[in-house]
Amino acid sequence: MYRKQVRRRRAVLLLLVAASLTLLSLYYREGSSGGPLHGAENVVSTIFSPISSVTDRALKPVRDLVNWFHETFEARGDKAKLEDQVASLRTQLAQQQTQQQESKELSALDELTSGGIVPDGTNPVTARVVGRSPTVWYSTVTIDKGSGDGVRVDDPVVAAQGLAGKITETTPNTAQVTLITDADSAVTARVQPSGATGVVEPNVGNPEDLQLDFLERGSRIAEGQMVVTAGFSTGDLGSIFPPGIPIGEITTATVEEQQAYQRVHLSPFADLRDMDFVKVLATHSGGGSK
Amino acid sequence: MILTPGIIARLVALCAFVAVAQVVCFSKMDVFGSSPDVALLVVFSIGVLGGSLTGAVVGFSLGLLIDCLLLQTLGGFALTLLAVGYVAGRYRETVGRPTRGAVALLGGALTLLGALVIAAIQVGTGIDANVSALVLRDAVIKSLIGAALAIPVLLTVRLVVRSALVDERRAARRPPTAPRPVEP
Repeated sequence: MYRKQVRRRRAVLLLLVAASLTLLSLYYREGSSGGPLHGAENVVSTIFSPISSVTDRALKPVRDLVNWFHETFEARGDKAKLEDQVASLRTQLAQQQTQQQESKELSALDELTSGGIVPDGTNPVTARVVGRSPTVWYSTVTIDKGSGDGVRVDDPVVAAQGLAGKITETTPNTAQVTLITDADSAVTARVQPSGATGVVEPNVGNPEDLQLDFLERGSRIAEGQMVVTAGFSTGDLGSIFPPGIPIGEITTATVEEQQAYQRVHLSPFADLRDMDFVKVLATHSGGGSK
Repeated sequence: MILTPGIIARLVALCAFVAVAQVVCFSKMDVFGSSPDVALLVVFSIGVLGGSLTGAVVGFSLGLLIDCLLLQTLGGFALTLLAVGYVAGRYRETVGRPTRGAVALLGGALTLLGALVIAAIQVGTGIDANVSALVLRDAVIKSLIGAALAIPVLLTVRLVVRSALVDERRAARRPPTAPRPVEP
């Protein structure tokens, strides 16, 4: 009897482990193009999205209470008003500096046009953040707007203070935002006012630290300078992020690291761990409310 | 644990609620730079109360649901929580009913195990970006939070599945002790 129980227990365990590994393998094999597993996942997510939305609102007081203790501990509460003002001024400054930079460097290029941070034809969709991955490995959040609202894969997403990430999955009612701190994220960026360009990549596990890699040799970058999206466009190839969206501020820029690795460190403006609302710079119009 | 249809329905409802609450609430909490992993502690509790088989099946199901809700790689959390549920159940089957101190220690240790399994899956599937040492700090803080929350979560889960627990049934069936005769 006991041996039978042990055999059954081992069989079920092996079956579950095999199922997990099979799912992992098949999911990776499907890639981002989608397939039956992505479809099944979307169905479950769609079914649960109204429940998630209601639960999010119902549990918000609990979450806020816990976060309040933490914020009080770090004395962040008093700075909120000033941070909002700084974020607003920073956005204006980024717009002005980007326009100046573009007028200097891109005036000779007829094919490139700019309309500020939000390109013409964009329909910004405001969305509530309803889900977050529990580990630092997956820097993704789920928002309560999906393909039914005009949100599409690769649409840029901004938070109140700056760039947050891009859309990587959509369902009719929800979408997954891969944040700029995710291991898969890479954003072409420009340092203001020097104009040096590079690629912003994450430092996985440390959401307060990003790296600006592949800087041009001879770039003179100092701490405190602002980094914005570069938004390059070359023929058919183009960045999904429009130019001039604030990303972060240079925090460490040692001469040694710049010369040896062509790299500096920056801190993101957006508080990616504490976002309630984001704006998707959608290029399609949907049937839902904006 | 005696799995009647009623208890299975309770477990399904518990898993659905915990998966949603983990994604929309607990993961968004900021506790010393990390967040509590209550879903893992619920699986741990079910493993401790119901044994390795129940723990593994519930862990796999809850993990799969979280994977779906987050639109992430299917199987990642399923494998992690499956391991946690199985290990917790095996502890109960081999060592016996854990004391309160052991529950806290196990909760912390299994939260750390969960973080390590997730890290192993990430490394195994390939990662191009730099990995900060703060990943370790996050895992340690998460396990400390897990140790602190293990007992309250276990007590809550125990309330939900109380009628299915063999120990509780035995206690309920035990006749009350006869009063001692008053000595003259």
